[in-house]
Amino acid sequence: MSADSATFTDVDDDPIAIMDAYAARGWGDGLPMVAPTEARVDAMLAGAPGDPDDVVAILPPRSGAATRRMIAVNAVLAGCAPAQLPVLIAAVRALAAPEMNLRGVNATTHPVAPLLIVHGEIAERAGFNSGLGAFGPGNRANATTGRAVRLILLHIAGAIPGPGDASTQGGPAKYSFCVAENMAESPWGGYARSVGLDSPSAVTVHCGEAPHNAHDMESADPAAILDKLASAMTSLGQNNAPIAQGEYFVALCPEHAAACADAGWTRSDVASYLFQKARMPASELRAAFNLLAWEPWQRALPDDAAVPMTGHPENIKVLVVGGAGKHSCVVPSWGMTKSVTIPIEEH
Amino acid sequence: MRIYTPDGEIGDAPGPLAAPRSVMSGARIGILDNTKPNAGVLLAQIAERIAERTGATVSPVETKNAALAAPDDVIARLEKEVDVVLTGSAD
Repeated sequence: MSADSATFTDVDDDPIAIMDAYAARGWGDGLPMVAPTEARVDAMLAGAPGDPDDVVAILPPRSGAATRRMIAVNAVLAGCAPAQLPVLIAAVRALAAPEMNLRGVNATTHPVAPLLIVHGEIAERAGFNSGLGAFGPGNRANATTGRAVRLILLHIAGAIPGPGDASTQGGPAKYSFCVAENMAESPWGGYARSVGLDSPSAVTVHCGEAPHNAHDMESADPAAILDKLASAMTSLGQNNAPIAQGEYFVALCPEHAAACADAGWTRSDVASYLFQKARMPASELRAAFNLLAWEPWQRALPDDAAVPMTGHPENIKVLVVGGAGKHSCVVPSWGMTKSVTIPIEEH
Repeated sequence: MRIYTPDGEIGDAPGPLAAPRSVMSGARIGILDNTKPNAGVLLAQIAERIAERTGATVSPVETKNAALAAPDDVIARLEKEVDVVLTGSAD
């Protein structure tokens, strides 16, 4: 769709008028938006040079064509700066990966939302917050990039509550859900490199719940700290309980990460420990669920065995986010989805 | 003020739907149970009612995960063994 053939609408130059005009057509997220004029969209597109009408992905359930131009339109609406556009384009590519199962993510009754984690050089250059308060509020890049993803899902993908999004209660993470990785304070290097990427910048998309806090201000012992995270992971209410392929993203604060590293623990050690400790009795899980999407070895466990909350230690993804203090968090998965980490293309 | 609408065009259309079957007499009805609570019960009862009224037959139930597309082998069996499929129930 070129600018000439794109659909435009005329509204008064007033934020409330724009919000009302969009709401009348089922658009918007309920918050005021920046008017996507041609000039603003053109300026946004300059943030990621390329053919504006290239289709980055087709997004279900509406089968909407996410061109660079339409991604830019929604970025303007959300309040993004042009420097953020490469992150959004990469995130849309990730959302469309088959293993993401975006149709299911958008359609489910679960309150799942895509968490964006920005890695590498672009995080600093585009002003993302990886430190104190990274999950929000207060930082434009984090807030508006996450919001733009939601607007893209609402408008282009058609994930409108009701016809395109059956989430029973919805959730706050569906407004905006974006952080940057605190690579400067990660004792284990960057997450993207740990999964095989060596690009200067990358983005991870993980479709999960809002963060579950784990607080430990007493311990210097990694095991004691991680026991609290394991406790936050161990719940019958999470989809990870019946779905073995479900991942956990464990966002350690720098102080918790340092405690682990100072004791000689690697990123993999942290995941292995959580795999060992985040478990529930097989009998309890079998009593709670009619259907268990478990691995064959889990099915073979006797009722008195302790079953891991996920089917493999590699499903526990560990990285560093945040600033001073001793709060870490866990982001459980919707379940029938896998995270995707891809490079961010910059020019 | 002129502003963009935010939704853009529809991309490549998914495959076309099959034409509806005009006569059910003698048809083989398949059930694709998405394993949501009560889906199997509801779909089986609908299939039996249709069969009673039309002389159709009900084939064994196939199952799929509610969050995923049906596997290729399930689709292949349904394609081979039934004429219509009941599915799509949610809790």
